[in-house]
Amino acid sequence: MADSARAGKVPAPADFVVVGAGIIGALLARKLALAGASVLMLEAGPYVTRGEIVARFRNSPRRSDWVSPYPPAPWAPHPVYAPVANDHLLQAGPYPYKAEYLRQYGGTTWHWAAHAWRNVPGDFRIRTLYGVGVDWPFDYDELEQYYQEAEVLMGVSGAPNTGSPRRQPFPMPPVAEPWAMRRIRERLQGVYPVVGNTTARNSRGYDGRPACVGNNSCQPICPVNAQYHGGIAADAAQAAGVKVLTDANVYRLEHDASGRRIVAAHYYDPDKRSHRVTGKTFIVAANGIESPRLLLLSASDRFPRGLANSRDMVGRHLMDHPSTSLTFDADEPLWLGRGPQSPSSINTMRDGDFRRAHAPYRLDFTNISRVDGTSAALIKEGIYGPEFARRLRHSAAHELNVKSVLEVLPHPDHRITLSDQKDALGLPRPMAHYSIDDYTRAGHQRARQDFQRIADLMGGSRLRFTGDDDFANNQHICGTLSMGTNPATSVCDGYARAHDHENLFFAGTGVLPTAGTCNSTENGVAVALRTAAHILAQQAGQPMPAPPGAGPQAPQKGGQS
Amino acid sequence: MPPTQPPRSRLIGSDVLSASPSTASCGREAAPHTHRRHLLGAFAGAYVASLIPWALAQPVASAEQAPFMALSALLTGRTALDAELGQRLHAALVAAQPGFAADARALLDWINTRQVDPARLQQALDDARSPLAPLPRLLARAWFMGIVGEGAQARVLAYEEALNAQIVADVLRPPSYAYGPYGSWVVPPKEEPSRG
Repeated sequence: MADSARAGKVPAPADFVVVGAGIIGALLARKLALAGASVLMLEAGPYVTRGEIVARFRNSPRRSDWVSPYPPAPWAPHPVYAPVANDHLLQAGPYPYKAEYLRQYGGTTWHWAAHAWRNVPGDFRIRTLYGVGVDWPFDYDELEQYYQEAEVLMGVSGAPNTGSPRRQPFPMPPVAEPWAMRRIRERLQGVYPVVGNTTARNSRGYDGRPACVGNNSCQPICPVNAQYHGGIAADAAQAAGVKVLTDANVYRLEHDASGRRIVAAHYYDPDKRSHRVTGKTFIVAANGIESPRLLLLSASDRFPRGLANSRDMVGRHLMDHPSTSLTFDADEPLWLGRGPQSPSSINTMRDGDFRRAHAPYRLDFTNISRVDGTSAALIKEGIYGPEFARRLRHSAAHELNVKSVLEVLPHPDHRITLSDQKDALGLPRPMAHYSIDDYTRAGHQRARQDFQRIADLMGGSRLRFTGDDDFANNQHICGTLSMGTNPATSVCDGYARAHDHENLFFAGTGVLPTAGTCNSTENGVAVALRTAAHILAQQAGQPMPAPPGAGPQAPQKGGQS
Repeated sequence: MPPTQPPRSRLIGSDVLSASPSTASCGREAAPHTHRRHLLGAFAGAYVASLIPWALAQPVASAEQAPFMALSALLTGRTALDAELGQRLHAALVAAQPGFAADARALLDWINTRQVDPARLQQALDDARSPLAPLPRLLARAWFMGIVGEGAQARVLAYEEALNAQIVADVLRPPSYAYGPYGSWVVPPKEEPSRG
């Protein structure tokens, strides 16, 4: 349980006030609390439990809509697109950016596939290496120990053959490979190395949570907590002494007369009563859309463009991972749906000189059951009776899908702003300005060649490519609070402290200055843990901790298999 | 903790013929001589009856529900349909669309009159621009996917018991149910030859 703002009690001032109780904010908060700080975490949405989410999933008429088991609380709206759109996130275009996220205790990772990747070293320096995008304010070696720390906390399983070097072994060996993925790996051998995804999924009992038992519903919910998620992180934060207040929608941060310091957070409870809570340091960890939104909502006479925004950088450089895909029938029965949903991928196009010319990408093989989608398609086609059963079994056994996960470059015109429409609390709704540029489209064209080759190697028939202008979104919201050394082009420094305010920090995927090709959560967690280390070192007047084993010993090289 | 299974509903099919008449598929206790049992065969029409011989001896809860059950047997192609689920689906379909029972009767008559090949039913309805064309999809969605209604009114009446889960149950579990012990998915899938 957690306390709810419904009760009307305003918490005592804290050393740290964290806005948002998602996975990244919670793990940062936990680290601060373990060092002895008093930490208050304000979460706009409600407390949720795994059992109710599983029940909603089973009773949902739209099970492949992963938001459907998570109806938003009226006082903490998040985007809903079906069956009726709620227009929480408005679209300025030219290309729609229909991001999904969840405002609730634990945030969005309740419904992820638990991909727990590190960037590859080149991802930190694409400007220097390839002349595109921007360089990060630190490199892979600097972040490496925090990747490890993140992986131990989340319980990450994998093998060191995915392109990211490491000093220490994975906390757990790779999750057992589903038969379908093994056959893909065997048939692609010599042309494409198929590797197991590094995931926050238990391959044995870990931290009091069981190993995976193949529920195949990772998105939207793991019924047994074999998969790490923000709810577990928020529980861990509470166990470390963090005070969590749910149903507390922070709508404004208040600064002092000088403008250099944040002094208070104002939040609405479900009855729209406003409360004010003070603190010494403020950390905004409310995802890559709601975080810049809060800064923009916090406009004042002194800061008419919002907080941390003297150079008009807040909300800019919006990035995500667009996907295109190929669905086809393999020539042997593979039966997707046995085991976890997202086990395997091809990582050979994550880095290389081609990044000068087109976007890099991962290629992802799904193991999501085809039954729901095929049933709907057959009924739409007017197929019934024994023919339905025959074709359902055929597709369930033979259908495969491979998708691209493409990098998007940071563009200042791709951004989150405030619209002139108001949500249920009278707060301006966020608006997305987005497009898919030629760099990413060229990456898709290259990936499409791989799709064809993969289908050929699998004896593919009934090839169904997504359209060339049809990019699905992956909800890896990056860039809107970019870290950087130059205040003219970034919102915060290399430790995610706002350039404009000395006691304001950011945590989340919004601080990542480039998107790379991997799901952003572990990057965001590692960066936040490093931010925590910096804050704690500063407060103690000590240097940052050195990486373990730093010195002449080189890190284990994670080459391609 | 394993999920609670719903109580196993009675199947219409061979087991009903051996059950006592007072606990027939409608699930109601009734003395045989005070309650007139309807058998599906009496309502199917000669042509449709010839297409669903396995279903003719099945009791149906009411004359009103009989066309729906006859169409259900025809459209699903299943030799045994869960009677209790059938009742729930029928009730939901009637609630979603008040003219449903009359439409079902009309569709049954339409098929009998034209002697439509069931494998071409949707095509025939579309070609004829029949106002009954939406009906097979409603029944198919109800039985195969366990869903009745559209958009915000859509409801789930069955999930594990929906026919699409049954059709693949030799190899797959419905998502959110455990497949088996850790690692049980590494072995090749084993299909039952008679399944379908």
